[in-house]
Amino acid sequence: MNFTQRSHKLWLIGLLLVGLFAISRLFAGSSAMLTMWPALEVLHAPVQWWQSVDLWFIERQKLQQQYLTLEKKAQDQAAVIQEVNSLREENRQLRNILEISNIIGYRWHAAKVRGRSPEPMSQRLILQVPDVSKDDVIVSSEGLVGVIDTISSNHATVRTIFDASLAVPVTIPGTQLAALSRGQGDSLSINFIPLEIAPRKGQVFYTSGAGGLFPAGIAVAVITDVQPIPGQLFAEVSAKPIAHWQRDSWLAVASQLHSIQTFTTP
Amino acid sequence: MIIVTVIPLLALLGISLNMAFSTAMSQPDWALALLLASLLAHRNNWLWVLPCALIHDLILYWSFGTIALMMAIIPLAMIYLDHHLGAGLPQRIVLMLAAILTLPALGWDMQAALLTLCLCVPVWHLLTRQYARQAA
Repeated sequence: MNFTQRSHKLWLIGLLLVGLFAISRLFAGSSAMLTMWPALEVLHAPVQWWQSVDLWFIERQKLQQQYLTLEKKAQDQAAVIQEVNSLREENRQLRNILEISNIIGYRWHAAKVRGRSPEPMSQRLILQVPDVSKDDVIVSSEGLVGVIDTISSNHATVRTIFDASLAVPVTIPGTQLAALSRGQGDSLSINFIPLEIAPRKGQVFYTSGAGGLFPAGIAVAVITDVQPIPGQLFAEVSAKPIAHWQRDSWLAVASQLHSIQTFTTP
Repeated sequence: MIIVTVIPLLALLGISLNMAFSTAMSQPDWALALLLASLLAHRNNWLWVLPCALIHDLILYWSFGTIALMMAIIPLAMIYLDHHLGAGLPQRIVLMLAAILTLPALGWDMQAALLTLCLCVPVWHLLTRQYARQAA
């Protein structure tokens, strides 16, 4: 009798563990993370208050010193702006050469990063941004970051390109290559690259625009490793993202102009 | 009763801290440290620790049970080990280390795991003392 009871208990514990393991494999979505934004606002508030108060109490001498420093910075920046203008012109010419069309059909706006998941690669983000819709594209100054997953009033969560559920159609400009970039947690895997036209380590993949979700011409990933698999048609290509959004305070959101559906509170 | 209310609230605050200042400084997994300490101090706490661990996973990992799975195994292992070896500290320390070592596997850096350990141990000690006082 005792033995049967113990055996039942063991079965129950086993079933519980198997059930929990099955549940752990389920993808639950980002709504829970989004509900945390009021707490994040509260935690950020003292930092913002401190910065505001600090501005009020800066001494005169310090202000003068800051003025001189800023004046020098402004002069330096004027030189940088000149350089940027010449680089922009050069970039325009290069774009023409590469026949990359300018990104049109999208409305661009800035979004403040409010929170992020704690692992070093920050695989999930919370943005403070109004008037966006699901699947809007998030871009940093360097390259593609991800897409908007869930939205609420003024806040949204972002699925970054590290997410395995996100596949980005990519290409290398000037080639016939059409591949898919998939998230691997802390790296990217580029699928469907035929062995004979496999790119080299260090080459950069750009969005191809296929599928219509991502605008074409945004830098996505730089190749870190190319391995031929014996007996396989496609090479195994690993890459890392071009964008470093782990420390960016601001990101850009690209909303498609023909399908802007903004969130409205009832 | 106070522990049941305070620890989940502190854990929720910890989750928010993790998200708000994740890049500004290296932080422990506050919620994991508190929940693990509660579980090690009193294994019957699994009743509220497990739902809290599920919420932790839901918010930080968008999945239902990453840390929660480990949290579910710990009380079962405690019952088994206490039955076979007698109630003791070494097996609990091993379980604590096993739970904290899941952090590097989830992408956290080693420093964060060590900080979690440093937070878990004193909280565990405090809670154990609290339970002992209640029992006396």
